[in-house]
Amino acid sequence: MTVARRASTWVPLAAGLGLLVTWEAVVRLRGIPPFILPAPSVVLKTLWDNLDSLFVSWLFTIKITFGALALALAGGVLLACAFALSRPLELALFPFAIALQVTPIVAIAPLILIYVDSTTASLLICAFIVAFFPILSNTLIGLRAADPNLQDLLTLYGATRWQRLRWLLVPSALPYLIAGLKISGGLALIGAVVAEFAAGAAGRETGLASRILEASFRTEIPKMYAALTLVVLTGVAIYLLTRVLSRALLGRWHPSEQG
Amino acid sequence: MAACSKRASLRALAHVALAALLVWPLLPAAEPAQLEHVVFATNWRAQAGHGGFYQALVDGTYARFGLDVTIVQGGPQVNNRPLLPAGRIDFLMTGNLLHSFDNLKNGVPTQVVAAIFQKDPQALIAHPGQGYERFERLKDAPVVLVAKDGQFTWWQWLKATQGFRDEQLRPYNFNLGPFLANPRAVQQGYSIAEPIYVRQQGGFEPVVHLLADHGFDTYSTLIEARTQMIGQRPDLVQRFVDASILGWYSYLYGDHRAADAMMLRENPEITVGEIDASVALMKRYGIVDSGEALRVGIGAMDPSRIRHFFESMVDAGLYRANEIDPEAVAAPQFVNKGVGLEVKRRLLGRP
Amino acid sequence: MSTAIELIAVDKRFESGVTALKGLSTTIWPGQFVALLGPSGCGKSTVLRLIAGLEQPTSGEVRLNGVPASKRAAPMSYVFQEPTLMPWASVLDNVALPLRIAGSSRSAARAAALEALEDVGLAERASAYPAELSGGMKMRCSIARALISRPAVLLLDEPFAALDEMTRHRLNDELLAQWGARSPTAVFVTHSVYEAVYLSQRVLVLGERPGRMIADLPIALPAPRAASLRLEESFLEQCRRVSHALEGGIAAGVLA
Repeated sequence: MTVARRASTWVPLAAGLGLLVTWEAVVRLRGIPPFILPAPSVVLKTLWDNLDSLFVSWLFTIKITFGALALALAGGVLLACAFALSRPLELALFPFAIALQVTPIVAIAPLILIYVDSTTASLLICAFIVAFFPILSNTLIGLRAADPNLQDLLTLYGATRWQRLRWLLVPSALPYLIAGLKISGGLALIGAVVAEFAAGAAGRETGLASRILEASFRTEIPKMYAALTLVVLTGVAIYLLTRVLSRALLGRWHPSEQG
Repeated sequence: MAACSKRASLRALAHVALAALLVWPLLPAAEPAQLEHVVFATNWRAQAGHGGFYQALVDGTYARFGLDVTIVQGGPQVNNRPLLPAGRIDFLMTGNLLHSFDNLKNGVPTQVVAAIFQKDPQALIAHPGQGYERFERLKDAPVVLVAKDGQFTWWQWLKATQGFRDEQLRPYNFNLGPFLANPRAVQQGYSIAEPIYVRQQGGFEPVVHLLADHGFDTYSTLIEARTQMIGQRPDLVQRFVDASILGWYSYLYGDHRAADAMMLRENPEITVGEIDASVALMKRYGIVDSGEALRVGIGAMDPSRIRHFFESMVDAGLYRANEIDPEAVAAPQFVNKGVGLEVKRRLLGRP
Repeated sequence: MSTAIELIAVDKRFESGVTALKGLSTTIWPGQFVALLGPSGCGKSTVLRLIAGLEQPTSGEVRLNGVPASKRAAPMSYVFQEPTLMPWASVLDNVALPLRIAGSSRSAARAAALEALEDVGLAERASAYPAELSGGMKMRCSIARALISRPAVLLLDEPFAALDEMTRHRLNDELLAQWGARSPTAVFVTHSVYEAVYLSQRVLVLGERPGRMIADLPIALPAPRAASLRLEESFLEQCRRVSHALEGGIAAGVLA
């Protein structure tokens, strides 16, 4: 590994560790009670003590997040291709896509929970709504960003619409799609958590958001932090996954992955 | 002659001014002594069940006790609980003793200083004619709508002792729609509130099952304070408790229109009719002024009753026996002194 | 197989109001290598796009072997000023693209592409990606791609303008070698007099916008071209001739 590569692994780790050490020191030295600001050691212990129940909720949140992300990917890409191929379709449907994007999920989550019987389905829908627009928008831009000279070349070679899509538009759109995915990955997680907060989901089908709310109501502040830690870890994991995907698909040729 | 009288009047004026200048510092201050500012957070939007506190505010009782009180509402998506130990608020309204037991269990340093409701109005309501007239049938309902606060307290008790299951549970977002639309649905309700709304919006009288009648006999609308404040400023706590108790007597037995007006301003979603109906129900069910409160005043707390409630919760499996000392959740020294009984006698016209 | 190209009284006015070409008429014979020379903005690229059928004339006609260009009856290739390679594909797959679009299987197209790369000396870089190649290599790749489909018409729009002089000279020779193998009708747009004279058999000089033919000059120089020709007097004489025409001076040589 080059020096640069090593640095990119160790520097963030060291910074994170430094933050945790400072946090622990401040809490201990100033005697801050755990129901105001728990020390990292207390949070970790609480996490360990409650691992079995938190783990089940964590799996549920992960399920919703990745389910919604998959739906957003499929929906966003398909719709973008449809829009790229048919301008009237785009003009007709794009306003709805925008409306979905700007509607605050906090407001509609309770509504969706009323109309849809299954809690899991409602949360999937909410997280999907939050995550799908960046993929749609970015992919559409990417499809349109194809090199015009290559477009002319394909015309000259007599390519059909599908050939154009396959040989030119989709590969051109890939970097944009990946950029959208990087955004949507985090949004899917946020959507899954916020939707659960806003909808006040209950019972068996619940994720980390419900654990956080429950801990908040019982003034179990360290447990709130423990659940939040899992949320953060999930977010970081998603980010790293999209990094790996980006390197795999674009590493050889796209400027964003060079140097 | 004109000049002479002018000089005379000027001299008189000067005398008065000099006198005023000398006497000025000795006059008592035109303003009263500074009131102490305290923040009291409720656990819901303003409603008749909070009436006594708003009464003490609008009729100057808090001010008479040297308190400048700000009442902060709770609400469906609001959780004021962590604000008390964090020092952001001074007094907190709590719905039941389970919150207090949890606090003690988690080392959160707060205690209950008064119990305004001798009975918890928490109830389950259902459509009539669906077979829910008997409480035992409720556990077979396909859908039970419970809000966040209840999910982590009395719902756990219902599951442990009354046969309810998480599969029935649906979030109650304080919208009557889902309940009204589904005749088989059951939802939580405040026995002094929801039935009134259901009658108005749904046009029918719901079946009401008080949890207190089936073994959930906690105190309710408790006033909690930080242990530190109880130790260091017992006078402040006492003043707030006394003033609140007096406010409640005035609200229940006196003219409560001014308090209602303030609550309507804070929460435009309720109406005067609903408040009046709710007050009537509070009296009919003996929510506030019943049992021990009749003898030693509103807010009465009996530590043995707290212990008894804790033991029934241990039986329900919510806590382990000896996990905490239940009587330690309360600081009963501020109540049980007969405060306000005189006011009640006067308001009711009794000798 | 090679195609005759006819422009008959072609006008081209764009929606923006710009008149790119006015009254342009000429005939290019099958297999001829023609240079299109003129100052910037005189419409040279527009002529190429009209021939390719990517644009339509506002009035007049463009015909390939008698068929209107818009029908795209003849197989054509286009080489742009930028190499215009697909950055996400290897050199081999880039060159194979025209064959894949025409329906060849992947293995057949790749085999043919490898041969084409050998012809331009890029076979060892077949699995490299365009980002890893120099400008000159990318252009050779582009030319290989242009010729793999055995076009009847080869259109080149200042392909070497962005390269340094030594590479340009080398690629000039390589282009002539590749072109010589099958001799499609070639139209080469350039603003370099030297390049026009070196490469072509006939130089068409366009005037400033709106583009009008101001000279049609056959180039009498030995073929195939030798690199040493660049320093010989006969070459420089032709260059002078063309230069004068370009400066809109005395038309040397008549429209035959």
